[in-house]
Amino acid sequence: MAEYFVARGLPVPPELRRTPLTDWRRWSVIAAALAVLYVGVRLLDIDLSRANPEYAGTRIVSLLQWDFSILTPQNEFETFWDTAGGLMVVTIFLGIVATALSIVFALPLAFLGARNVMTGNSVGAAIYGMTRILFTVMRSIDVLIVVIIFSVIFGLGSAAGVFGLAFHNVGVLGKLYSEAIEGIDAGPPEAITATGATRFQVIWAAVLPQIVNPFISFSIYRLDANVRLAPVLGFVGGGGIGQYLFQTINLFQYNKAGLIIFLIVVTVAAMDFFSAQIRRRLV
Amino acid sequence: MPALVEIRDLVKTYPRGARALDGIDLDIRQGEFVVLIGLSGSGKSTLLRCINRLVEPTSGKVLFDGADVTIAKGAELRRIRRRIGMIFQQFNLVRRSSVFANVLAGRLGYRSFFRTIASRPSREDVALAFENLERVAILEKAYARADALSGGQQQRVGIARALMQQPDLMLADEPVASLDPATSHSVLRYLEEINKTDRITVVCSLHFLSLARRYGTRVIALKAGRVAFDGKPAEIDERRFKEIYGEDAVEVEIGVTRTAEEERAEEARRLLDARTMSDAATDAAVAEHLGPGADR
Repeated sequence: MAEYFVARGLPVPPELRRTPLTDWRRWSVIAAALAVLYVGVRLLDIDLSRANPEYAGTRIVSLLQWDFSILTPQNEFETFWDTAGGLMVVTIFLGIVATALSIVFALPLAFLGARNVMTGNSVGAAIYGMTRILFTVMRSIDVLIVVIIFSVIFGLGSAAGVFGLAFHNVGVLGKLYSEAIEGIDAGPPEAITATGATRFQVIWAAVLPQIVNPFISFSIYRLDANVRLAPVLGFVGGGGIGQYLFQTINLFQYNKAGLIIFLIVVTVAAMDFFSAQIRRRLV
Repeated sequence: MPALVEIRDLVKTYPRGARALDGIDLDIRQGEFVVLIGLSGSGKSTLLRCINRLVEPTSGKVLFDGADVTIAKGAELRRIRRRIGMIFQQFNLVRRSSVFANVLAGRLGYRSFFRTIASRPSREDVALAFENLERVAILEKAYARADALSGGQQQRVGIARALMQQPDLMLADEPVASLDPATSHSVLRYLEEINKTDRITVVCSLHFLSLARRYGTRVIALKAGRVAFDGKPAEIDERRFKEIYGEDAVEVEIGVTRTAEEERAEEARRLLDARTMSDAATDAAVAEHLGPGADR
């Protein structure tokens, strides 16, 4: 190929001058990647000598020998809400309430964090910048860490789980919402501004109709993720079925733990299925 | 009679240093159909948007019916905007909303905060919306989604939305640049009709000189942010054309092919009393360029 350019006295394009085997850039990237992996493996000191296959085998078997007694109240002091089924329902609602709470806060904040809504003056630009930083901070702290912090404030239980999960999700949904607002067609707002409408009326008539679908879609996506996260929160003091699962594992009650894990898997799969159905219908 | 729009030494410099308007002085009188022409980037869009202050001028004055648009704030600016309708090249309809909702939105400038959030338009607004939809011959599409309509139909919705403001001035930013020639004529005829029957002053930017000659009562050419020509459409000869568009430019004509919709528009136009001999003469000239497929 290069001859084509040489024969006509044209400069040969760099793509043709480099061949894969002589391109030093390509080799240096490969070398760097291998070096990182080597250092990583040495640092981690991965040790397989402590593995115990026989012990693991018996435990896995007991994980599958489900103890169904956890599905029914065991004495006169227990009700349905103390059983694994009841706790599972509580955990699903923990995810739902946390999502609802985060939507309520993320919705107005998203407009403050959308560049195209806040442009015009320096005050707006400052609010925009601060809102975006707030979203980033809320998002960057992992849910588990947030729930641990909130369990210090609210004590162990659902309050820490709900508020911790909601806190993190305000950051996630705020970012997703505000990016949806920034992605709208700027034409309709311009046209409605030209009719003599107020800034609020412009948002109402020209921005909102454009973001309803992405908002619903993002909200369901987070609801899905939150119901999936909720069972784990119990491990760090967030309440729900996770706390029960954590107990059974610590007490080596693998027959109970196995059934709880199965319940969680079924719930998450069902949630996945339904949210996909709803979101598909929206598009 | 004082001018409806007075533009005095209007300058607009964009942040990155581009000087879009470089000292514009214009008087636009009530009832005119002003066509703005000029190369892309000559400042047509900026000039239109300075009139209703969608674009903030750098210096100079724009007076609309005696009120200084450039210093108006808040409610006063909105009251001025309410009297200035605008249509756009990309129509700027809310694509997901119904035609009816889009048209009603043109009335927002008259509506209170509570009526807005209650989504309860007044009886008069609804009646006005239907009236305007009927006017642009699109009543049967009232409940269709805006993006289900063809380009020409969407632009007519845009006109109906602007008419909801009951404006004194209609700004049109390249209203037919995204449309085919036959549809272009149909849309421009609606503008012509509101100009003649409602006495709404029209300022419309166009790319085709043949359309400017056909519809304009006055042509203003912009070149690099300055007025390069201001006069009657017929005064633009070969020499002036080259002054406006550059030495290498060749004039391109836009013809008409008759579609059913076009026939209806033609019929409606025939009923208007405002037709003059010069219109018929232009039509004849346009018809000369007709031929199968000659419109593209």
